[in-house]
Amino acid sequence: MASVLATEHPQDTAYGEVGDATVPLRFSSLAEEYRVLRDRAAVLDLGGHGLIQITGSGGVDFAQRVLARDVEYLTSDRCMMSLVLDESGQVVDQVLAFGREDGLLLESSCGAGARLLDHLLARVADDDVEITDRSGDLTVIGLEGPYAWGVVGRLIDAELASLPFESVVDTAWDDVEIVFARTGLTGEYGYQMIVPVESAAALWRRSLEHAQAAGTEALELAMLEVRQPVPRHEVTPGASVIEIGANWLVDITKDDFVGKDAVVEAFEAGGGRRTIGFTGGSGVPARGTRVQAAGQDVGEVVYAVHSVGLDATLGLARVTGDLAAAGLELSVGGLPVTTLTSPYIVPKSWSIPII
Amino acid sequence: MALRPVVVTGLGIVCAAGRDPAEFWRRLTAGQGGLTPIEDEAFAVFTARYAGRVPDAWIDDRLPQEDRGCDRTVRLALVAARQAVEQAGPAARGTGPGRAGGPDPERFGIILGKCQATPDAAGRYQPMHRTADVVAERLGARGPRILVSTACAAGGNAVGLARDKILTGEADAVLAGGVDPLLFGTYAGFAGLQALSTGPCRPYSRSDGLNLGEGAAFLLLEPLDLALARGATPLAEVAGYGLSADAYHATAPDPTGRGGASAVRRALADAGLTPADVHYVSGHGTGTPANDTMEAKVMRLVFGERAGRVPTSSIKSFVGHTLGAAGAVEAVASVLALQHGVAPPTIGFEDEPAATDLDFVPNAARPMAIDTIVSNNYAFGGNNVSLVLTRPRGPRPYDALPRRPAVITGLGPVTGVGAGIAEVAGAVVAGRGEPGRPPSLDGRTYAPRSLWRHMNHLSRMAIAASRLAWEDAGLKLPRKALEEVGLVFATAAGSAESTGGFDESIVLNPNKPAVLSFSNVVLNATGGAVCQTLGLRGPTTTICNGGASASIALDCALEMIRAGKAEVVLVVAADETTAPAPPPDPPDPPDPPVPYGRGAVAPVPGSAAVAFVVESAEHCAGRGGRAYAAVAGTAHTTGTGTEAVLRGLPEEPVAAAATGAATGAATGAGTAAATGESVAGAGAVELVLGAATGRPEDGEEAAAVLGCAPGALLTASAGLTGDCQAATGALNLVLAALALREQIAPALTGLTAPRAGTLDSYVTGPDLPAPVRRALALTAAHGSVRGAVLLEAV
Repeated sequence: MASVLATEHPQDTAYGEVGDATVPLRFSSLAEEYRVLRDRAAVLDLGGHGLIQITGSGGVDFAQRVLARDVEYLTSDRCMMSLVLDESGQVVDQVLAFGREDGLLLESSCGAGARLLDHLLARVADDDVEITDRSGDLTVIGLEGPYAWGVVGRLIDAELASLPFESVVDTAWDDVEIVFARTGLTGEYGYQMIVPVESAAALWRRSLEHAQAAGTEALELAMLEVRQPVPRHEVTPGASVIEIGANWLVDITKDDFVGKDAVVEAFEAGGGRRTIGFTGGSGVPARGTRVQAAGQDVGEVVYAVHSVGLDATLGLARVTGDLAAAGLELSVGGLPVTTLTSPYIVPKSWSIPII
Repeated sequence: MALRPVVVTGLGIVCAAGRDPAEFWRRLTAGQGGLTPIEDEAFAVFTARYAGRVPDAWIDDRLPQEDRGCDRTVRLALVAARQAVEQAGPAARGTGPGRAGGPDPERFGIILGKCQATPDAAGRYQPMHRTADVVAERLGARGPRILVSTACAAGGNAVGLARDKILTGEADAVLAGGVDPLLFGTYAGFAGLQALSTGPCRPYSRSDGLNLGEGAAFLLLEPLDLALARGATPLAEVAGYGLSADAYHATAPDPTGRGGASAVRRALADAGLTPADVHYVSGHGTGTPANDTMEAKVMRLVFGERAGRVPTSSIKSFVGHTLGAAGAVEAVASVLALQHGVAPPTIGFEDEPAATDLDFVPNAARPMAIDTIVSNNYAFGGNNVSLVLTRPRGPRPYDALPRRPAVITGLGPVTGVGAGIAEVAGAVVAGRGEPGRPPSLDGRTYAPRSLWRHMNHLSRMAIAASRLAWEDAGLKLPRKALEEVGLVFATAAGSAESTGGFDESIVLNPNKPAVLSFSNVVLNATGGAVCQTLGLRGPTTTICNGGASASIALDCALEMIRAGKAEVVLVVAADETTAPAPPPDPPDPPDPPVPYGRGAVAPVPGSAAVAFVVESAEHCAGRGGRAYAAVAGTAHTTGTGTEAVLRGLPEEPVAAAATGAATGAATGAGTAAATGESVAGAGAVELVLGAATGRPEDGEEAAAVLGCAPGALLTASAGLTGDCQAATGALNLVLAALALREQIAPALTGLTAPRAGTLDSYVTGPDLPAPVRRALALTAAHGSVRGAVLLEAV
């Protein structure tokens, strides 16, 4: 599925297929877009994120059952990130759940909308739950960066810029009703706007008057640098939530949810592998590259990139639990690397107040 | 609609920057602050040592000998209160007992804001309302008496509530103010939060922390027409006030400034003014980064492009943060600013590095034309208050406060006999009482787990009660409407768990206080937690009048509805005991003391939270809601017995919702003038839920009820739960409402020998022998305030 903003993008935009979506990987260069995101404010085309509405009198109960975090009292002015698991505890997706007056709106991770929709539809058992794919009539535009709050002020309303994290406001932009949320994926100030597709191009153009576009590559790099999970890279077959390091997106104090038993079993069993960041080596090791400690095979690379911020290789490795600690010397593909504690770079937003 | 103008005719203050209004004003305009290092060696354990202390001589030299034995809180309050009464003139001075010429003492009220509980000589906490009781007794004020404890917003809140009491016609004069002394534990708590500046605080510039202070301030409020009639000089008008809840965090302000801006906008709307009318803003200005940043946003949100042209300054740069007194201290400063046409400065202001677009009146007082002032306060618990004060204008026509019928539409009791009205009704029908048993909240989480797991037990009970009442009311309001839903929290003592935990931590090491407990020590913390959990951002306040808190809270809710400030208000009352719960199944349990029983000498202390939804009848009808009962009238009296409060009820109760006719909500308080044997309001009732808890005073109440309401059946909720203080009053109200719909009432199981009357006059079985159309709920803070609420079937 192509972005509804594709006609607004530069002709030489580099696109890529991510799951069910065709997304802009780069508009110009990764380094330039990364710098925009880390130093100023970036506009993000998040059209690859599917939007699925859950309504009906049983909608909230259904959402509480299929989401791994507690959304029972998710009011319409709040949103939260949660995993969606299958019965075996495997990650189906990582979603941003918006409380709505009549239920919830789930925003899938990039390219995962169709899979999420299938998963949800397969688990609807009652007539009192309605699942609606809104990806055809709504899309998402993001703002991310240490000065993204200034863009919000110029674009919509300064009052919205300092919303608390994960707050949601139904507001209007240019007489168009939009859902505005304070979110953040990269450690920088972050916002998302859910907008009708017919108004998306105008909002995109207006946003570009105050900020520059950044593609999926820059966004995902910045996410990795602060250890924000990128499911399409980090979820590997058979890996448990604990091995992935996404425990914080699960709440085992809930009475029940799909996949809870498997997660609890994994918690109680202990052991297994853990995911840790690393830097070093040369080049970018491929997924599955073996990781060794003192000559022993201890795990494998989950994924790695070249970090513009570190100007070095940055990756995630899944290794035996006792080696998932910062400051260890390991080898990846025979080259020495050092394990890291996250975040791997300090976002500029942490030292810039919203005024 | 122009309401009756309410004016200030007297001011009183004692704080670190002055021992009376004249000295206070001289120092404000000279830029002479009162923040000094604390000399008390006990405070040497703290790195930050600056505070706004009041010299002892400033207190005791101003008090008559008989007042000097009182605790410091009372003495501070009396110094300021006496000044305000003195300035108001002979008529106000004449309000004391045995003095002639002043308003009826029964119509002279006191609304006191206080943040901290006051320890007695033995170190035990006195009832929160005790300070107000003593001041009222010394000044002969026997009218409306409220202790409001919205932490650092309490002083300003008190001024607003005082205006309400004049607008409802319950009082002709009200002393409104706040008081708090400097207490070691509170100091340790703020130090533990890293909120104290090591030097004199510098609000709006360096903003590196606050200084605590102490003091008291009062304003004497009167209706303009009465003040002029007695030849008094109005100093300022209290043109309006606004309350709001952040619904964001226990201690931190909403960083967007939405809550603060909402309070200002509501206050201006109440005053019939706009932001363009405001000439000066008295800021909260604590000097903490979170507060000062948020306040700048409030200024920009409210005043827009004009923000930089509206001077705003912080009196706390002179006196420190006087907590419950702060709002009153700043209101006094604002009245003086209006009088003199001078904006007091923010002293200690540093131009660098905080370049700003706002005008903080740095370091030097500024003569300027000032007709309208907004005075803002923000508090732990997310409570915000804004006052609008204007230069006094001449007499003018005004409208009476509209009489808007109100109904009770949702009940949420959380008690030892059950959670939710269905379970409690089941216990009533089964005749099952569990005095002293704490509620069980097992089986359901009433808030997002991320919040729930960090909450103390009182907040959990209150949130459960609130959610159950909300669900029972069947209210499904959109987000926008929730922004306007009010919440009034009623508690005698707040969280015993958090207070105890915090105090213990201070004893162990004052530099390692239990900061999470500290944030819940303020009595409004639980109300704030309810707002945060349910997302309610309407007007909110916290009432701490012991066992009478719930009926006073209902009055506040009714006043919000009458004034058009809310259509829906949630009233929630909660208290807890630290006494151990009785064992589940003791082999030979002793008979618990039965309310009204001859042998009962002391109640069983209990824990409970009870919430109920109050709605305008119009709103309820509009959404097709089903009400339990209409509120036909309320009454409160102070320092008198039950008969007086029964006689204070309206004489011609009318079922508001049934007829659509206005009855008024708060009526008759303090107007218990004897009218012969006919006590129509109370006389018409068929059922009375009394305030008895199993103590000797129950006999007086029973005798008064049986005398004034012959034919009514008497019972009390304390037989089910024990004495749960504020929650017991609320439970009486809830069970009275339930009786009107379901025709059931709690039986006084075990009552064999009542203190007054015969067993025939009491409810001894759950099913009522005759239909109940009118029911009365009583509340009592013994030795202080008694309340009565008359409910009618709809």
